[in-house]
Amino acid sequence: MIRAPRTRALIACSGLACCFTAFSARLVHVQVMQHDAYLAKARENHGVRQVIAGRRGSITDIHGEALAQNEPVKTVVVDAGLVKDPGLLADVLAKTLGVSKPQMLERMTRETWSAAQKKTVRSPYIVVQKEVPQNVVETLTAQLAAGKLRGVSFEQSANRIYPNGPMLCHVLGFLGFTNGKSESEGVDGVERSMEPFLRSHAGFRCIEITRTGHEVVPYRGEHHEARNGGNVRLTIDMGLQNIVEQELDAAVKQFRPRGATVIMMHPKTGEILALANRPYFNLNALEGLTDENRRNRAVTDQVEPGSTFKIVTTAAVLSEKLVTPETFFEVENGYYEWCRLKDDHPYAELTVNDILVHSSNIGVAKLAMRLGDQKFFEYIHRFGFGEQTGVALPGEIKGVIHPPHLWSKISITRMPMGQEVAATPLQVATAMCVIANGGTLMMPQIIHEVTDDSGAVVAAFPPREVRRVVSKKATEQVRKALMEVVSKKGTARLAQVLGYDVAGKTGTAQKYDPVTRQPLHDKHVCSFVGYMPAEDPAFVVLVLIDEAQTKRGQDVGGMVAAPVFSRIGERAARYLGLTPTPEEPEGSVVAKRNKDGSDLREQ
Amino acid sequence: MPDNRRRNANTVPVVTFLTYAVAGLSACVAGLGFVWCKNQMYATGTQIKKLESELVQLRSRNEATRTNIAKLTSTAELQKRFTSGWIKLVTISGDRIVLVSSLAKTGGAAELRAVANERKQP
Repeated sequence: MIRAPRTRALIACSGLACCFTAFSARLVHVQVMQHDAYLAKARENHGVRQVIAGRRGSITDIHGEALAQNEPVKTVVVDAGLVKDPGLLADVLAKTLGVSKPQMLERMTRETWSAAQKKTVRSPYIVVQKEVPQNVVETLTAQLAAGKLRGVSFEQSANRIYPNGPMLCHVLGFLGFTNGKSESEGVDGVERSMEPFLRSHAGFRCIEITRTGHEVVPYRGEHHEARNGGNVRLTIDMGLQNIVEQELDAAVKQFRPRGATVIMMHPKTGEILALANRPYFNLNALEGLTDENRRNRAVTDQVEPGSTFKIVTTAAVLSEKLVTPETFFEVENGYYEWCRLKDDHPYAELTVNDILVHSSNIGVAKLAMRLGDQKFFEYIHRFGFGEQTGVALPGEIKGVIHPPHLWSKISITRMPMGQEVAATPLQVATAMCVIANGGTLMMPQIIHEVTDDSGAVVAAFPPREVRRVVSKKATEQVRKALMEVVSKKGTARLAQVLGYDVAGKTGTAQKYDPVTRQPLHDKHVCSFVGYMPAEDPAFVVLVLIDEAQTKRGQDVGGMVAAPVFSRIGERAARYLGLTPTPEEPEGSVVAKRNKDGSDLREQ
Repeated sequence: MPDNRRRNANTVPVVTFLTYAVAGLSACVAGLGFVWCKNQMYATGTQIKKLESELVQLRSRNEATRTNIAKLTSTAELQKRFTSGWIKLVTISGDRIVLVSSLAKTGGAAELRAVANERKQP
């Protein structure tokens, strides 16, 4: 059958048209109807969501000395599918990273199941080494470039570094992984309490990569920059912290106690200038971390404050104007029969001033009785006992102050001398700040401010006045008594500091058996809390030594803790450039150190 | 057919030809330009990537140096060096330090009060 040329042409054109229509239909189907599916597939194959790591904020002392910082390190990752010569690459990596070649080769040749290809393929993501320092990464990059080796990439990460090692460990805290989170976060200390400020927020960038793993820069998509964490500036002064740590180490070496704490505060602002505990741990090597050495005893432990608590009772009665410093009290010749209360040194009568100077238990009990249960309880609370101070350190406890309806008949005679109450060392130091600053309870501060990368202040923590506790006149009267405590006739003669007037109070608290609840006669908590210069205090220091190993009868605050205060005070005064006290206090004894600074002796 | 008429009938359409030629050339130039631009884009992208990598590396190096400086100038490190005698500093013992107090009020003379080391028991 022979068709006309016109018909043949028509058939050919129709055929071509059908073909093109079919192709067009397929094109429309692929490009329009299945657009999303293919786009997703293309993104899956070539699109990568690149995470941009942020930097965790640093922690510095008040002068800007770095206390916690980030050391940039990288994770070396190999895409085995892109490696042409595994042997050569393993050789380069092994030599640079300090791993044996067979071990490296074993790591690099790991295989994985590919669901898309439905077969086992060489793994595209093999972590061959973590925490590789920056200089090693640079060497490795140069070697890879020289050898034209492909398939190795580096992922940015960081190590938290504490340049001072164990110093200030309980304040700084450390990082860890909690609740199965992939990113580490603060688990103790300031690292934990300031986590919302210190934490960085990672950014991301959607990119497309070629078959060889290189980014196609023009096809960059959504981009969110990472946000670095804020930099926290503490109130700690590392110069003072160093002094405190050294003197505490010396005390621990001398007395081998179960634990020890020193807190140095600025009485007018409540700023913590130094804080150290023993035992302690190294922040850069957490392997030896135990509950015992991890504990920040300054805020997590409660102790019976002992005689240091007498300042509360004395200041309260003086503030209420129930007595004057010259008012005499009968102190029963050293034994108060109805409540079985003893004094170490028997006196017939003492003035209010001398009750504090001689640390008379009977005298201070009588002062509290003059004040009355309810009023006494109220003053204890006003001094900040029985409530958290609010310092930005985790794990702070309230201590124990029972309300009057739970007291026994003799509680009013025991509590004024620091028994039947439990307080944290920080509460005791804060209470002494009340006396030192003229009667105001200041909230203890450990954070000065938080700044961003440009130095702009994100959050400030100015001194915070909690409440007025006692009158200024009462604190001046107590100060005079406390200055006499640190004199020849007082209990804290060894707390004297050459050239400066010191005010303070010793404390020796008997420990109790936690099981039998019976007092342990050979185990004491020795403490001294004082401030200097007495007239215009620059700092308050609390020294607390738990179970000092001394000769019998020498484990008392005046013998164990007071000398530590003296040494700290002397060095701190020199560091701060304090002007020596012009006038010599009446009744004080001039003391001088040996040339080696080891001992205190009278001149 | 007269000559002039043939000439008119077989005239070469120069203008049209030129128009198509210019259009074609423009299309070629546009195509080449597109390719060149695309090429430049990729080249610039590669440069950007390289510079970004360098920047990241410099930042990392800077951070590493800062960490190193922090380690070397930390109180603990300086104390260690001081104790080992590496920085050749000697502690001034307490008996060699003169503490000068503020001006004495008594006497009225503008003289500095006695140093603490010289304090005598009354």
